[in-house]
Order: sequence, then structure tokens, then C-alpha cells
Amino acid sequence: MKKYLIIATAIFSMSSMVACSKFLERPVEDALTEEDAIYDEATLKSFLNGTYVNTATDLYSGNQTWIADLMGDEINGNLYSGDDGEFYNRKTSIFGAYKNDRYTAMNQIVYRANKIISRLDLATSDKDNVEGEAQFLRALARFEILKLWALNWGATADNNHLGIVLRNETSINGLNRSTIKESYDAVIADLVSALAKVKDTPAAGHAGKDQVKALLAKVYFQKNDFANAFKYADEVIKTGKYILDKDDTTPTGLKWTAKRYSEGKSTEMIFGFKYVLSVLEVGGELRGRYRSDVGFSPQGRFKASSVMYNLGTQTGDTRAAWYAPTQTDGVTYYPITKYDKDRFDRPVIHLTDLKLIRAESAAELGGANLAVAIADVNDILTRAFAGTSRNIATSATKNEVLTQVRAQRELEMIGEGDRLQQIKRIGALTGQTVDRRNAPSNCPGMAIQFPQGEKSGYSSFTMNEEGGCN
Amino acid sequence: MKIKNKILLYMLPMLLLAVNSLIAQTVSSVTGKVTDAKNGNPIEGVSVTVKGTTTGTSTDVSGNYNIKISSNNAVLVFSFVGYSDQEVPANKPSIDIKLSSSEVTGLNDVVVIGYGTQRKKDVTGSIAKVTGEQITTIAAPSFEASLQGKAPGVQVTQGSGLAGSGSVIRIRGIGSISAAGDPLYVIDGIPIYQDNFQQGNSGGMNLNPLAAINPNDIESIEILKDAGATGIYGSRGANGVILVTTKRGKVGKLSVNYNNKLGAVTYANRPDFLSNREYLAIRQEAYTNDGHSGYPDLNGGISWSKAMNTNTNWWALLTRVGMINEHSLGVNFGNKLVRSYIGAVYSDNESYLQNNSYTRAGLRANLDFNFSPKFKVLLNGAYNRGINKRVPAAWAGGLGDAMSTALPYYPVYNDDGTYFTGGSNPVRRLNETKWRNYDDRVLAGLTLEYKPIKNFTIRAQGSLDYFNTMDYQYESAEWLQRTDVPGIAKANPYWGTNWQANVTAQYDFNVTENSRMSVMVGTEAQESVVKGYNSDIYAYTDKQFYENKSLYKDSLAWFKTQPPNKSNFKEIEKDNWTFNSIFARINYNIASKYIFQLQARYDGSSKFGPNNKHGFFPSASAAWVISEEKFLKNSDLINLLKFRASYGIVGNANIPSGEYYYKYYTGSTNYQGEPTLYPSNIGNPDLKWETLKNFDLALEFGLFKNRITGEVAYYNKNTIDQLLNAGIQPNTGFGTMWRNLNGGKILNEGVELSLNLKVIDKKDFSWTVGGNISKNYNEVKSIGDLDADALGGGTNDTRIIVGYPVGTNFVSRYYGVDPVDGLPIWYDAQGKLTKTFSLDNRVPVGKVIPDYVGGVNTALRYKQFELSALFTYVIGGNLYDGSAKRQAGIITDWNIRRDLLDRWQNPGDDAKFPRTTLQTGTYPGLSSEWQYNSTMFLYDASFMRLRELTLRYNIPSGCLKRVGLRNASIFVTGMNLLTFTKYIGGDPEIARDFENAQDRNMSPNVTYLTPPQQKSVMGGINITF
Repeated sequence: MKKYLIIATAIFSMSSMVACSKFLERPVEDALTEEDAIYDEATLKSFLNGTYVNTATDLYSGNQTWIADLMGDEINGNLYSGDDGEFYNRKTSIFGAYKNDRYTAMNQIVYRANKIISRLDLATSDKDNVEGEAQFLRALARFEILKLWALNWGATADNNHLGIVLRNETSINGLNRSTIKESYDAVIADLVSALAKVKDTPAAGHAGKDQVKALLAKVYFQKNDFANAFKYADEVIKTGKYILDKDDTTPTGLKWTAKRYSEGKSTEMIFGFKYVLSVLEVGGELRGRYRSDVGFSPQGRFKASSVMYNLGTQTGDTRAAWYAPTQTDGVTYYPITKYDKDRFDRPVIHLTDLKLIRAESAAELGGANLAVAIADVNDILTRAFAGTSRNIATSATKNEVLTQVRAQRELEMIGEGDRLQQIKRIGALTGQTVDRRNAPSNCPGMAIQFPQGEKSGYSSFTMNEEGGCN
Repeated sequence: MKIKNKILLYMLPMLLLAVNSLIAQTVSSVTGKVTDAKNGNPIEGVSVTVKGTTTGTSTDVSGNYNIKISSNNAVLVFSFVGYSDQEVPANKPSIDIKLSSSEVTGLNDVVVIGYGTQRKKDVTGSIAKVTGEQITTIAAPSFEASLQGKAPGVQVTQGSGLAGSGSVIRIRGIGSISAAGDPLYVIDGIPIYQDNFQQGNSGGMNLNPLAAINPNDIESIEILKDAGATGIYGSRGANGVILVTTKRGKVGKLSVNYNNKLGAVTYANRPDFLSNREYLAIRQEAYTNDGHSGYPDLNGGISWSKAMNTNTNWWALLTRVGMINEHSLGVNFGNKLVRSYIGAVYSDNESYLQNNSYTRAGLRANLDFNFSPKFKVLLNGAYNRGINKRVPAAWAGGLGDAMSTALPYYPVYNDDGTYFTGGSNPVRRLNETKWRNYDDRVLAGLTLEYKPIKNFTIRAQGSLDYFNTMDYQYESAEWLQRTDVPGIAKANPYWGTNWQANVTAQYDFNVTENSRMSVMVGTEAQESVVKGYNSDIYAYTDKQFYENKSLYKDSLAWFKTQPPNKSNFKEIEKDNWTFNSIFARINYNIASKYIFQLQARYDGSSKFGPNNKHGFFPSASAAWVISEEKFLKNSDLINLLKFRASYGIVGNANIPSGEYYYKYYTGSTNYQGEPTLYPSNIGNPDLKWETLKNFDLALEFGLFKNRITGEVAYYNKNTIDQLLNAGIQPNTGFGTMWRNLNGGKILNEGVELSLNLKVIDKKDFSWTVGGNISKNYNEVKSIGDLDADALGGGTNDTRIIVGYPVGTNFVSRYYGVDPVDGLPIWYDAQGKLTKTFSLDNRVPVGKVIPDYVGGVNTALRYKQFELSALFTYVIGGNLYDGSAKRQAGIITDWNIRRDLLDRWQNPGDDAKFPRTTLQTGTYPGLSSEWQYNSTMFLYDASFMRLRELTLRYNIPSGCLKRVGLRNASIFVTGMNLLTFTKYIGGDPEIARDFENAQDRNMSPNVTYLTPPQQKSVMGGINITF
């Protein structure tokens, strides 16, 4: 009997070891459950802050700028290979981690905005503003995705060509793309709603009314809706809070050309991100892909075409400082200097851009607005040539103004990923080929291909047509 | 918990019934001592029974026994694992016994199984055993690599030639997709930390947590293959279990064993690249083919004339003859109270890559205390430090650059003496950056064994696996191209504690006169926690952190004390999981002829969602020892014939922790001084283990007085509910989430044969030949509604496709070159020829899983000389050369392998590769050279290599005694001396760096600038005194 008791006691003692079910409840220590992470307005705003950080690092590190510049016509495309070669040749495929990873990251900003909007029940005193900022960020991410992954507004007459996926919930169900019209409508609807909700004077680094308006101006401009583009650009410019960068007055001071991408020296930034060492080191990909002064190689960095170099270095043009011809063993390349710094703030929308939007919109609208256009473009020219010698006449015609403002846009925005959008936009507007590489603005390759995961995750997904631009 | 209680309720009555048979009467006793016939050492634990009765006892620590007998006609049976049974008439009061080691069949060998041991002949599951001696013959980068070719059904693919490189081990195929398909490693009872991806694939290599384990400490490795063997590990047994048992002390006088190995290392196979002028000629040819005249632009901003006069042999600059320097010491001592094994090792194994080596230092103490016949304490502790002097490789640079982007006309230095920076310069990186991994690991365990009553043993075991890995990197100011700092030292440590405790109770009893039952029940808990920091610790300095530990401490302290608005640096938990289990095993042995075994485990794990927290994993197995039947008992032809069968359900739980809930992290950086929050996944409360249904049949045999022995086995494994971390649209913002694949099914079916032949067996001359061959058929039966591109192996163009094996090469089919214009001709998806390349034409065309794997070994002994060899081989399957697409046809910024030069140059040429071009647009439809994957670069993966060749001379004992030695030998060993392969682009044995477990499951045999395997020759001595 003693034997049985010993055995039974031993076995029952052992069984007590597995009685503690809490032992199996071991979430990763540093990871929070949703209940522990987002439970009131403060935590919801922390989540919003994180979304801003990701917008800075995932959306505006410089990848999308680099892709767009490769696809534009200001670059010398020799020696690019791999993913870079695909972008340059406007012939992207379903693979390519450089763009596919970016696509996922950009969509995660949409996911986060959706999450914030779905948890507005937690917001109290700042509810409208939180919602407005989330809508702003969602619109911003969608607009950037639209510009790269879809053909432009106007590429088809009825704008029924496909745009992007409009996912308004944090769901994982399969979705196909909406039309370009639906896509733009969604972006504008978010921004119009946001405009009514965000603050006049936002906290630093956050979106307020100026930022929403500036983005609205850009969105309307991209769809060639000049009345609205003019309206919103004008409202922001007229606040007077943003001033074109100027040369420092001291002889050794900074030139204006070194200020747009500088650490706290620019007065133009309407929306963007401040560089904070060890905290938010924005612009990494811009440094990695554009710097002329450190580690330049013709196969891995931006190098302007000789045509662009000649356009940008006309006699007296202070913007020639943006070019740094590099000659090695008789081979000359034209890298640019805009990002030749270890640290700089990352403007997303700046005054020069907005003035050029207002100028072109005003010119398109014509009439009394033409004077505004001329004034704006002359502001740009006066700064560029350090005087009024190259200004256009106040009597310039609409076409003369348009030609000049588009030329100045190209010179001002070199290396900022803008040219591709102008090729697509102006081509859609005029029906003419703008591209110096002679590709139609609505050729399929002007939109990059979606990741294969879109199709393999949802068999009804419609991919882009590839290539066809060369 | 209900199931657990039921098990206990069912088992208790069985135990109670069984012990009724233990009643016996005795009239007199026999005493004596049992010793080892070879060395005279007493043997503890020898089973002494009266034949035909249930009366029995076992020897104590001094080998003594005392048994009651009821008749002078009684026969005593002495049996002990590893020794042949002996039967002796009990016709005198004192009988001493000398037991001899078992014969070549090893049937009395002890085999380690989960939570216990069994005699080999009683084993009902599929277990392959490899001894410690067998894994220390070569200087493999890590102990598991030495298993190659030594066990049937076990495919070992060594990673690369990098120091400390790990291996991919597959036991009877692969059924997992996103969960790791590696076996569970259990060292002295504790499932150890074995995550290869804690640092991703940084530097072109996955970390190998096994590298720090000292091979010289290992007594044996048991590889558990079927559910009959792995079933006791329940939710973690699906991919097999590798049980590592370390050496323990034996009774006897103090003995000291010292052995060393000194040698040299180079590469086994190497690719050959073009010189500067050869490369430039090809580039010029491509330029001309594209319709241009003059000279094309060159990468690196170098003029044509300068390029013509610069010829850098990057391979030569980055490689060397590495040196092997290894010393190990083993001290053994044992008496009545204590037995001890003390082991120490120091080894410094350089690879053939400059600045790359793995240094291992370790100390182990295994102590067994026999406090009384009823109470025993086993203590084991080991500390190992591995220092991996790392260099980047493959895609990350270093030798990978030498094989790709470091063009032969690039100089190391500019004319002014500064480094060339216009393109890849791996010498600059070699000189201006430093990288070391310090891997400290403690494995310790305490086992208490108590026998409160006869044949009833309670064992309580606790083990600790502590590891601390420090990743040190240094970049000079020159490398950073900065003048404001002297350089930067960075550190990224992580550390973890993995503990396990189990208690088992085992009761052995006779059910009838000739049948015996063993019942074991147990419970176990395990917790593993890995911690680290959320970002690097760094300081701008001119010294590496490992040369300036105080600076590291100061820097760490500085980071820890920064206010949140400057830095959110903090300690974080990288992984954390628990298991809590009960398990049981019932083994019923009838006359050593019919053996039945039931196992079950009920596992709970923190890895799984609240809706599937626990799983039940039963298995059953049986063996019929036919040779024990009367009709074969005295056969001269057949000495052993044993039939084995098993069926069971086991699982795979090897996924990251915390994936079942939505996880959020507070940010390491603030935004405008305000806190930040980030999501990291999409949660899934239904997440559970994947399930394997495993069926196994086997026949073991011994013929002609056991001069021919072997085993034939068949298995059929079906994996369902695969764990998946893929297949959702990236527009969700994630693209992945962990879930079980609904409707998924993967089959692994195979046959294994192992054969050992004693050709000559004389006193001074013996010759044995052995080998094994395994055939595995792998087929994906279903992947639900996912398509071919949903489940990919990283960037390796391998897929999981219904009707094909896991890791199917999914690329376009290349027909050949159009002799008229030199353009490539493809097959479209329907098999028609086309000159337009399209990714839509990709089809399943190859497989990374070979048809057959195995090894052939032979050993020749003549007097004091021994010559042994091991050939390993792979038959079938495909090797995909993932980097060749950048080296053939489209000339970019990569150098070109000489074997890819067979190209079209003129109309009418019959060439293997198309005409060269600098423009991807030359080949219609191709978007870039990255997408140029096709059968053009798919090769037969078959190879055979002379894995080991050893010549040993055992110094005669007469000579040794004069200098006080017991044993001594000298040897010379070669590793990978010969390789026979159809692949001419480099080494055919490849397990490149992987992005994640899914890639690792699907993409061995895909090379991408992978450093070739090592080839080494070394000599050494082995002495015991």
C-alpha cells in the first residue's frame, strides 16, 4: 500500500506544475496589446505622432524622389542597372524590393490613419484635430502612391483608368484598385474634411490649415484643376508666414541655394520635417542617392544630363551652385549639390513650389490673374539671377508666362522628383509629348508596377501594364 | 487540463495493477561484483534477474549485487546497455561477472530517447545515433555540419565557407512554410535557443547559435526521426529532434585525454573571373553589339586607358590560407561517491577569407554524485565563448564584391594614395571596418534522481541555457568619409535566458513472467526570454568597443540616461515564450520479441492564440523482433530481424512569439518631443501549431554473424495547418501576418537504406564498408486558394506550388540563342517559342530538394594503422545560380565569371548564352537584368565529395607504458579534398544566407555570391595518460 501511495503522491505532485495557466500568458514584455497601447486621447495622439515619424522616414526619406527622378528626363541614365535601370527605362516589373517595400510602407501610413479614425471614440478635447490630421496624412500617402503607381489625371478622357486601392478600414480582405477619379476624389475629400477640422496654428511638425491647403493646391494642380490650385496656393502664400529663402547678408553667410535643404535655415518650408540628430534623422535616402561631395559614383548617384546641366548653369544664374561637375580621367558627370550635407531638414511642400503652382495656375486662368503669375515668376527669376535682368515683362502673354514658369519649375525643383509629375501632368493637359526622352505622358511605364503580392493576395487585382514608353 | 487529468486517471490503475506481480518468495542469496571485461572497472546499474522469474536487482556504484534465489537450479541473467547479456547458473554463493561490450550490431547499446534511455533493440521509433568521436574528426565550422552523410534521412547542407557558418538540416524532408523547418535541438535535456534570425542576415550570413557548442564535449547525438521517437516532444517534434548528450564521468582512475589539431584551410571550389582587359573587351563587344562605336562609359568614373592598365585580383586580395589551431582536454575520474568529467577546449579556426575566424574557448564540468543507492545528483555546467571575427560576404560585400561589383579595372588606391571610392572596394572595407561577434553561452543542469521504492524512479531536472551575444562593429573616419569624427564604434548586444524544468516518474514492472512494462509520466515547463536594446550603442572614437570596454560601458550608461525627448533608448524584450506540458510513455515488452509503445504529450504554449492555446499529440509504435522467434533463433544466416512501425501526430511551433495579438511599441524616437506609438503586426487569436501526421515502417537486420547489418525504412508524413506569414495584400500596410494555412497539405514520403559490411575482421587487419542512401519525395498537395507567387523563398525565385515540391524553382524556360541575331529564345507558358521575355511565362522547372542524399564510409585497419574515408553525395535536385543573371548577356557593373563566356558573337554562332549588351531593352520584354531568371542558370545539383579522409597511427601500448601513457595516436585528416560536380560556377554545396525561416525552408541550393566551402588538411595527436 505504501508503494501505491508513493507513486500516487509523486504523480499528483507533478500535476501541480501544469496548473498555472498564467504561465502561458506571456506577451512580449516591451510590446503592448492594443488595449494597453491605445486607450485614451493621449495614446491616440502618440499613435498619430508615430504616423508622422513614419511619414518622414518611410514616405520622405528620399526613395520616392529618387524613383521619380530616374523616371524623369533630367538625369543621365547611363550606367544605372538593376532596380534603378528599371525605373530609368520606365519598365518596372512585379518584383523589386526597392519599390515594393516602399509601397507597403506608404500603405502603412494609410493603415495607421485608418486606425486613428476608427478609434476616435477615445478622443475628447482634440477629437476634430486628431481626425483632421489623420485625414491629412492619409491623403498625403495616397497622393504620393497615386503619383507613382498610376497614370495621371487626364490620361484617359473619362478618368476611368485605374488609380490605387482605397482601403478605409484596418482590414485584410482583398481589394482591387479604384479609378483615378475615385482615387483623387478620396484624396480631396479627406483634405476638404481635414481643412475644417485641423487647427489654424498647429503644433510644430503637425498639419494645420496652411498645410492642408498647400497639399490641396498640389493635388488640384496635379489634376490640372487650376482654379482650386490657385485658390489654395494663394491663401497659403498670402498668410505671409513663408518667405522665399535669401542669401545671408554677411559675406561668409549662406547662399539661398544652400538653404532649402539645410538645418533650420530655410524660411520656405510649409510642411516638412526637422532634422533632429539621433531622434529623427530625415533625408537619409536623399543623401545616399544625390550627394556629390561624398562617395559619388556615376552608377549609383544622381547625375544630371548635359542638357539639364546647360539649362541650369546659364550665365548669372545662382542656381548653378546646385551642380558640381565631376571630371575623372576625362569623363565628366553632373551630380547636384542640393543634398551635400550630413544633416538637413526635409521640406515636403515649400514656398517655391507653391509660388510656381500659383503662377502656372494663374497663367492658365488668365485674365487678371496673369499679373499674379508674372509677379510670382519674376520673384523666382529675381532671386535666381540676383536681380531683375532676366525678369519677364509685365506684358508677357499667357503662353510666354507658362513657358517661363514651367522652365523655372524645372530649374528650381531639380533633384526633387518633380519633373516626372510635370511630364505626366502637362502631357495630360496638352496632349503633347513633354518628355525629352520622347515618351508619351500616358505610356504605361509612366506608372510603376504594383508588387506581385497585390495579385497573389487577391486574384481579382488589376496590375498595371508594363513598359511601352521607349 | 481535462485531458491531462484523464491521462493521470487512466494511468494510475494500470500502475496499481502492475505492481501486484512483484510478490515473490526467496530462500537464499548470491552476491558478487560485475566489472567491465575490457578495463576491469565496476559497472553500476547492471540488471541482475533470476531467469524465468520476476526476481531481480541491480548493481550498486561499486558493481556489487546481492540477489535472493529460491532454487539452486536458478540461472542469473546479467544485462546492461552497451554490453552483451550473460547467463550464469546460480550454483555458488559468490559469482563475479565480467561483461563484454556488445557486438557490432550494437543492439545492447544504450540509445538516448526523450526523457530517458532505451536499449537499441527495444527501441520502437526511428533513431539514428552518431557518436562524439564521429563528429570531431574534421574541423567543421559547427558541430552539426559533421553529421553530413552519417545518418540516413538526415540531409545536412553546410552554409558556406565562412567561419562559424551554420548548416541547414532537414530530417526526412520539409513540410513547413513560414515556421522554421529545423529540428529541435535538445542538449542534456534542455531544448536550446536556436534562432538563426536574431540579427537577420546581416553581413550575408545568418547567425549560428550552435557554433559556440564544443564538439569535444559531445558523447553522442541521437537523431529522432519518426513520431514513435519524436512524439514525446509533442508540438515541437514535427521536424525531428536532435538529442545531444555530453560526456559524463566513468568509474576509474584519473585519466587525462589531450588532443590537438593543427592545419591549413583554403577553398574547396572557386569561381574564376575575368581580368581587366578581358572584361573591357566584353564591355566593348556589348557596346558594339548595341550599335555604337567608340568606347562605352565605364563604371567608377574611370577612363578607358586607365582601366586597360589596372588589373586588380580582388579574390587574391581577400583570401588567404587560413590556419587551424585546436586543443582540447578531457579529465575523467570516478569512484563510489562521485564521477566527474572535466573538459576544456581552445580552438582558433581561420577561414580562407582574410580577417575571418572563429575562436572557441570552453570549459565543462559534469559531476555525478551517488549519495546512496536511492539518491543520485547529476550536475553539469558548461561555459563556451565563441568569437567570430566577421567579414561581410555574398550580397553584403567583401568576397561577394570580389565576385561581382569590384571590377578588375578598379584600383585599390587612387594615384594620390587615397582609397578608390568610385565603385566597390572591398579592400577598403576590409581595412577600414571591423566586425566581431562575441557569443558567450552557459549550459547548466541539475538532475535529482530518487528511487523511493524498487523500480520506481523520480527524476527532477532543471536546466539553464544562458547566452549573451555582442555584435561589435567599427567604421573608421575614412570609411564614413567624415572629417568631424575619428570613427564610430557600434555595439548591438542581445542576451537571453532559456530555462526548463521537468519532473518524470518511471515505474518498471513485470506484467507476466516474460513481459515487462515501463510507465513514465512527466511534466515540463520552459521559458525563453531574449532581450536587447532598441537601437545600437555607439560612440565616435578611434577604437573598437572590444578594445575599449570602459568606453562601451560609458556609452551604454549615457544612452540609458538620455531624456526621452532626446533618445528613447531602452532595453527591450525581443522574444519571450513559454511551454507547459504533461507527457507520458508506456512501453510494453513481451519477451524482447514484441514491443509496444504509446506516447502522448499535452502542450500549452504562449505562442498560440487564446482560441488554440493547447494541443494534444499522441503516437503509437511497435516492434517485432522476428529473429527472437523460434524459427530464426538459431539461424546462422539471420542474426537479427526486427520489424518496426509507428504512427503519430506531432507539431511545429517554431515561430516568433507574440504573433497572435496586435502588438504595439512605444517609439525609440519621439516626434517633436512627444511620445510615439507604432503597430508591428496584424494579430490572429486563432493562431496554432502546424500538424504532422507521421507514419513509419522499418526493417532492421543482421546477417552472417552480423557481418552485414543495416536497416530499410519507409515513411509517410503529411503536414497540415501550415504556419504562414505571407499571402496578404501589401496595401494592407503589412503584406504578412501569421496564420494557419486553411486546407494546406504537404506530403513527404521516402525510403532510407543503411548498410554496414565487415569485409575483413582479423586481429591485425580489418576492413569495413558502410553507407546510407535516402530518397525523399516531397509534394505540395494543397495551398488553399493561394497562387504560385504568394509563397516565395525570399529573392530566390523558389515557390510553393501545388503538385511540386517545397522550394520549386519558378522561372522562365530558356530555349537557346537565335544563331541569326544572338537574341535569347524562350518558351512561353504554353511551351511555344518566343523571343519576348515575360515573367508571365514562369513555370515550375526545378526543385531544391534532391532525389537522394547519403554517405559512403570505409575504414581500413592494419595493425596500428587506420585509414578511413567518408564520401557524401547528393543525387538529383537543382542548383540555381542566382547571381549569374548579372554576369551573362547584360553587361552591367559586375565582373563576369569565365564559365559564362560561351556567348553569341557572330551570325551562325551556336552559343549557350545570348549576345552581350549594355541595355536590357535589347532582349525584348526584359525589364532589368534582375528579372533575367531562367533555366539558363539552372543546374543539376548532384555532387559527391570526399568529406573526410583520415590516416591514424595508434602508438603501441608497449611504447606508451614506458612514458606513462595509456593511449596515443597521431593522425592527419583532410576535409572536402575532392568534389565531383557538374556545376562549374563554384561550390555545389550551398545554403546561402536567408531572409527568414520561410526562405531557409525553400531556398537551399540557391547560390548568390556564396563563399565556397572550406577545404582543409590538418594533423594532430590524441593522448591519454
